[in-house]
Amino acid sequence: MPVVAPFSGDTRGVSDSSSNGSIVPFSPEAPNHSAVYALRHGLKPPIARLSISWSRGNTLRVSVLRQPSDDGEAGGRVVEVNLSNGDAEISDAQWRRIAYGSVTPFALLQSRRSSVSSLSKMSISPSHYHVDWWEYVMEYSKDIVSLLGHRKSPSGTVIEDPREIVKTVEEPTSLKAAWDLMEIFYADKQSQPWLPERLVDWLTDYDCLLSSTQTTVHSKLVGFQKELVSLQVIEDYPKYWEVISSALAIGWLELVVKMLRLHGSYELDQLGNRETENGLVEAVAVLISKMPRMRLELAEGKAGECFMAKPDFMKAWEKWRAQISKLDSSAYWVECDHLQTREGLKNMLQIMLGNTNSLSAATCHWVELYISHLLYIRPFTVGLESMNSLAQKCMQLKPMSSTHRLIELMVGILGENTEVVLAECSRAFGPWMVAHATELMTAGSDQAEVLLHEERDNLGEMSIAELHRLVYAQVLASHVLTWQIAPVYLISCMKQGMGLLELLLCKQPVQHNETLLKNIEICRLYDLDSVSSNIMKVAGVYHWKHGRKGAGVFWLQQARDEVRLNRIAKYLFDSVGKSISDESFKQWEGLIELLGSESKTAGGLDFLHKYRDFKKSLKQVQVGKTTDASRQAAESLISLMKNPSTPQQFWLPLLYDSLKLLNWQERPLLSVSQTNLLLNKLQELSMAKLRPDFIEVDLPPQALSSVRLALATNLGRAILEE
Amino acid sequence: MEKSLVDLENGTTCSSWNYSGQRLAAGSADGFLSIFDARDSASSSFTRSSKSRVHDTGIVKVVWIPPEYGDAVACVCADGTLSLWEEVVEDAQPLQWKLCKSFKSNSSQVLDVQFGVSLSGLKMVAAYSDGHIRVYELLDPLELKNWQLQIRNNLIPPRHAFLPLSLLYDFRFVLMATCIKLLETTNASLCLFFMRCPFEVWEFDQAHQRWLPVAELALPGNKGDQVYSVAWAPNIGRPYEVIAVATHKAIALWHLGLIPDTDGRLSVEQVALLSGHAGEMWQMEWDMSGMTLATSGSDGKVRLWQSNLNGVWHEQAALEPTT
Repeated sequence: MPVVAPFSGDTRGVSDSSSNGSIVPFSPEAPNHSAVYALRHGLKPPIARLSISWSRGNTLRVSVLRQPSDDGEAGGRVVEVNLSNGDAEISDAQWRRIAYGSVTPFALLQSRRSSVSSLSKMSISPSHYHVDWWEYVMEYSKDIVSLLGHRKSPSGTVIEDPREIVKTVEEPTSLKAAWDLMEIFYADKQSQPWLPERLVDWLTDYDCLLSSTQTTVHSKLVGFQKELVSLQVIEDYPKYWEVISSALAIGWLELVVKMLRLHGSYELDQLGNRETENGLVEAVAVLISKMPRMRLELAEGKAGECFMAKPDFMKAWEKWRAQISKLDSSAYWVECDHLQTREGLKNMLQIMLGNTNSLSAATCHWVELYISHLLYIRPFTVGLESMNSLAQKCMQLKPMSSTHRLIELMVGILGENTEVVLAECSRAFGPWMVAHATELMTAGSDQAEVLLHEERDNLGEMSIAELHRLVYAQVLASHVLTWQIAPVYLISCMKQGMGLLELLLCKQPVQHNETLLKNIEICRLYDLDSVSSNIMKVAGVYHWKHGRKGAGVFWLQQARDEVRLNRIAKYLFDSVGKSISDESFKQWEGLIELLGSESKTAGGLDFLHKYRDFKKSLKQVQVGKTTDASRQAAESLISLMKNPSTPQQFWLPLLYDSLKLLNWQERPLLSVSQTNLLLNKLQELSMAKLRPDFIEVDLPPQALSSVRLALATNLGRAILEE
Repeated sequence: MEKSLVDLENGTTCSSWNYSGQRLAAGSADGFLSIFDARDSASSSFTRSSKSRVHDTGIVKVVWIPPEYGDAVACVCADGTLSLWEEVVEDAQPLQWKLCKSFKSNSSQVLDVQFGVSLSGLKMVAAYSDGHIRVYELLDPLELKNWQLQIRNNLIPPRHAFLPLSLLYDFRFVLMATCIKLLETTNASLCLFFMRCPFEVWEFDQAHQRWLPVAELALPGNKGDQVYSVAWAPNIGRPYEVIAVATHKAIALWHLGLIPDTDGRLSVEQVALLSGHAGEMWQMEWDMSGMTLATSGSDGKVRLWQSNLNGVWHEQAALEPTT
């Protein structure tokens, strides 16, 4: 399936000026033809219609609808396509492991970036922090590399079987190779003086990957390994010498030494006759294992002698070469009877002396030739410019028959062409790579920093670095197991990250409490209050409408959704207000309790709480007897009617329900002022009736007049009593 | 790799996913509405949870209502009725899909409908065959029964109209494309077709509570083009909006500025003209970041369009359905 992460391919030629002299020509034009992918739906044609819908992240759902027919087959099928299936080399589970593992290093680096930038704003000497930045990036890079697999060197594996020269180990991934390459060139400032040697190591680790597109030294060695078992007199066999010089050319020294020791002259029964020959073989082997290397360190078991400083190395290098020349012109060669050995060893000496023809003959790929040049001709090569010109020369000498994504990447890096590197990262290694590798690139050069962090009108004012993080976040959002880590990348995007994060969160389902709580937690983490209240609102409505009234009210309260809570309160008034004896009162009592507990969120609920108490006390009132209960009921009626939060539509039902209080036989329960208050409310009610928004209540037609009469009677009796 | 999610019944005419992609609503030619649900949030296996008869005639379009108003869909039927259906538990009854509201008119038919959430509540924009755009407002956020007609905009009084609609998600704008086809028969052997399509962007003026046209998306040469579909890209932080308008010629992508000039008009710029689908365009959908546009058309293909870093739009890939 296609990698259709946005902007996955054509990132070349971002700016005209920097593309001059680029290897990939600047092309503002879109590609003429796009890739066509088959979408298998398994339905019988004809297809009447296609309906499309985006799901999580980069997932597209296509409804394929057939013409109606009577053939008994399905009328259509919905097919889901994930447009961001990354590297086929790496399994989905492995990808998720990498995705999860890279979150912490990425987040740590971002927080360091922000603290460094805030420190540098305050500090007088910001350069102090600038100097240390690459060290942070290196730490980040090491963390990332450890996720991509362990370093396994397929060549120099010396193991028990003396005849096993190349051990078949688990293949390293191109992704790791690419990351290592970028680390070498961009992030690892400490190793800059030893760049050629780091490249030698890189090829040692990854030459096997290049075999996928063409012959390499590694593939030759693997081929020879198979033949080795059946060979009797190894030194008679031309391929032995061919392979051995190839391995020497690219610096697999310990392997070469090991292979030399397979030479027949080492056999105990041969030693006597072939003393000189064996001496020569051993002399070459010793010279090889003494080769001076300008590098920081040499791993244990590696051949060569390590020099860190250039002057020391120079001295040793000259001495070593003098020894080779001396051996080359020695008289012992004449005494060597074995032709193949003589010529093979002589050729090896030529390789070590840096004979261009010998190097070219021994290597397969231009990168191998390049490495051999760095090893034997120009070990002091420094600076990308000279490294690049050497690479160009090697490419001319050994033109590529086919391309490999790692080589394309290397060409971009050597050409100091940030756009090409970015495009290659994106095209060949996918959104994860480009989102994470931009950190290496920006550490590498100011030009890359500007290019990647500059705001662009074409991109809606965001930078390229931000764009790639958005793209990667969208890929993460495509999967139910990875969407939770997308926010880490989105919040690092100043311009549009928050917008996408909000959308992403709003698209998460609310039905399951677990996901809902996770969503809310993410909102809390990033101060997305409005999103979180919207999510809770959706959850509240969902539960309310699906019969879980309590959960509905709870979430709406959490969302502080006054409008809907008031509406629910009103709904409850209607249910509760019908009659005291109504069963619905009991049904809603629990809900009112819940609503009442946090009545501050909705004014109307405060009323409902009081209303329930009033209804309860009214129930306890026994007709005819003046008790505390009846007095209390009258008091709550007055307090309810006084309370401004009591909805107008409830005034009349309240009074109508209280008729027995108003018509109290024994003595009037309400004072003159209390009765006047109620009469005024009644008056206000008749005025309100004229307004268009007046809500008519469901009461018997004589309700108003009977309330009025009761109040008038009560007033009269109260006046007399007072 | 493609994965099959749902098998639809014979006669299915339209389908629509809800906000989270967990529910699918499908309408059929015999007027049935089917709902398919995922078993759980991680599952990609969907089963039908409900099937109900919506109307005597076929359903031509199903649209989900925004989730803060419940699990509900609007069905546009072939005879031009519009009905709103909601999944609810009422009183002691089990969970079921119920009709909340039906919009019927003798004189005109509903052709398209869209929903948008504004600060004041849920709005529904419906396009009618008489050339009217009607904007309704929901009165009660918990009941989908009560709608109030907010505006009725008479675009052109034609005899036959086709109106694709698109709303911006926050309901600041509504985009209406009217494509009017007038058929005038002067005699039995001669038919004249007259088509025109101004596609306009309208904005709701909160201060005066009215709708105003703020931009027109058409080049002078394209005024007569037939519009198949319009789609508004989600805006996650761009200083401009991106709108795709598909005509019978090509897909035009427009940038719409957000700062009005002194006349209250918004600047527009056509940034791309994409051709690929031969024939009619069926549908256009933007992904959540607004960076990829997916389109489907009568050539039977799904095409994906993207811009490069220079702002040049191109076809990134095409999906061709095969058995």
